[in-house]
Amino acid sequence: MLQVENIRKSFGRNEVLKNISFSLKKGEVLAIIGSSGSGKTTLLRCLNFLETPQGGKISVGGNVLFDAENPSSQKESEIRRNRLHFGLVFQNFNLFPQYKVMENIILAPTLMAKEQLRLNGSYKGASTMKQAQQAIREEAEVLLKKVGLAEKRDAYPCDLSGGQQQRVAIARALALNPDILCFDEPTSALDPELTGEVLNVIKGLKSSDSTMIVVTHEIGFAHDVADRIIFMDGGLIEEEGTPQQVIDNPQSARTKEFLARFNQFGD
Amino acid sequence: MDAFWNVTLELLKGFGQNCMIFGLTLLMAIPLGLIISFGSRTNFLPLKAVVRTFVWIIRGTPLMLQLFVVFYIPSLVWGISFDRMTAAIIAFVINYAAYFSEIFRGGIEAIPKGQYEAGQVLGMKKSQIFFKIVLMQVIKRIVAPMSNEIITLVKDTSLARVIMVPEMLKAAERFTVQGLIWPLFYTGVFFLIFNGALSLLFRFIEKKLDYYKG
Repeated sequence: MLQVENIRKSFGRNEVLKNISFSLKKGEVLAIIGSSGSGKTTLLRCLNFLETPQGGKISVGGNVLFDAENPSSQKESEIRRNRLHFGLVFQNFNLFPQYKVMENIILAPTLMAKEQLRLNGSYKGASTMKQAQQAIREEAEVLLKKVGLAEKRDAYPCDLSGGQQQRVAIARALALNPDILCFDEPTSALDPELTGEVLNVIKGLKSSDSTMIVVTHEIGFAHDVADRIIFMDGGLIEEEGTPQQVIDNPQSARTKEFLARFNQFGD
Repeated sequence: MDAFWNVTLELLKGFGQNCMIFGLTLLMAIPLGLIISFGSRTNFLPLKAVVRTFVWIIRGTPLMLQLFVVFYIPSLVWGISFDRMTAAIIAFVINYAAYFSEIFRGGIEAIPKGQYEAGQVLGMKKSQIFFKIVLMQVIKRIVAPMSNEIITLVKDTSLARVIMVPEMLKAAERFTVQGLIWPLFYTGVFFLIFNGALSLLFRFIEKKLDYYKG
């Protein structure tokens, strides 16, 4: 499904991603762990085209979405279309504060529907804006139920707890049906007692056709939910494998050291 | 009593000119200020330098001087002359657009980068991100500084008398020449009432925008 080849990214002289390659099958959950500054977040931002890598290739389902050698894949309109293969849930939610929960979720699909109807005369089978809007609303209701916030549809983000805000952000990302949903440390900005509700929602999304990449510091969660783990260190993939391989039986000295620190302070 | 109504009527006529300068300046300086704020944020450095220099000059010189420049320079140099009201409005629009642009710039730059990125990853266009996500948040942030500036504008309109626009203070001065001094002080009442109404309006807008935080 996803093929990442030789991604390189530097900020000035600081080489954050040195040469990252990995692939992901449909329905798989990949957890990326590693210490701060190891390049995990930058990698996720490259996948969502928030950063432009200096080298490498990104393909989804056999289509090359990004190729550093091919500048035409870096045009604004191209990027905007390619982005829709990915969804991103941010560390600090980034909900739109002036919109209610429901409006946060339907804003992007509604704009998308308008554009599609104008260009192609149809959006997901709907041929009028009214039909499209109704479908978008119904889907949003389903998503809100899925994240357990149906009764909060008319609340503003400022009236929600951090955990609730993050669950809305998850529903918002899902509303565009991305092929691959990415989470950038989704619980790092939350009080410890709120992380559980968010992690449970993510766990609940795991199914045969939802492909996810989770950057996380929650080693226990990664162990439970991920099919594969990547441990990153210094802009490189240090170790890769199943949770049993990487977390229970790490081979590399760096991985062992990192996990030892986690075990020491409890997790 | 007749004298009082006569003075009131004359001052009101003058105040009509103040209101006209005020209204037209607001109407044109807000969009122009928005355009200037984009210019001062652009990544195209030559344009940015030009815009920032322009803002520096306009904010760095007295509005009174700018009124003289707009009124006299075109006729001295090119032989074109604006009528007094047009010249006053041009000077006010340019001056206030420069100030507004800085308020807009501050407001736009205060919006967290995450709001833009959230729009981007949801496949929104730059214009959609600006108008659907950012603009509303900018408006909420700039109501207070804008109300300050707009109230100042009401009072500044009386500066137009330096190029002989027959605004209210000018009208009051005509009575002074005739030996009546009180109409000059009476003008303050008109400004106070107008600005009082504006303050109420701004408080209302602030309340209206208070439905969310952030």
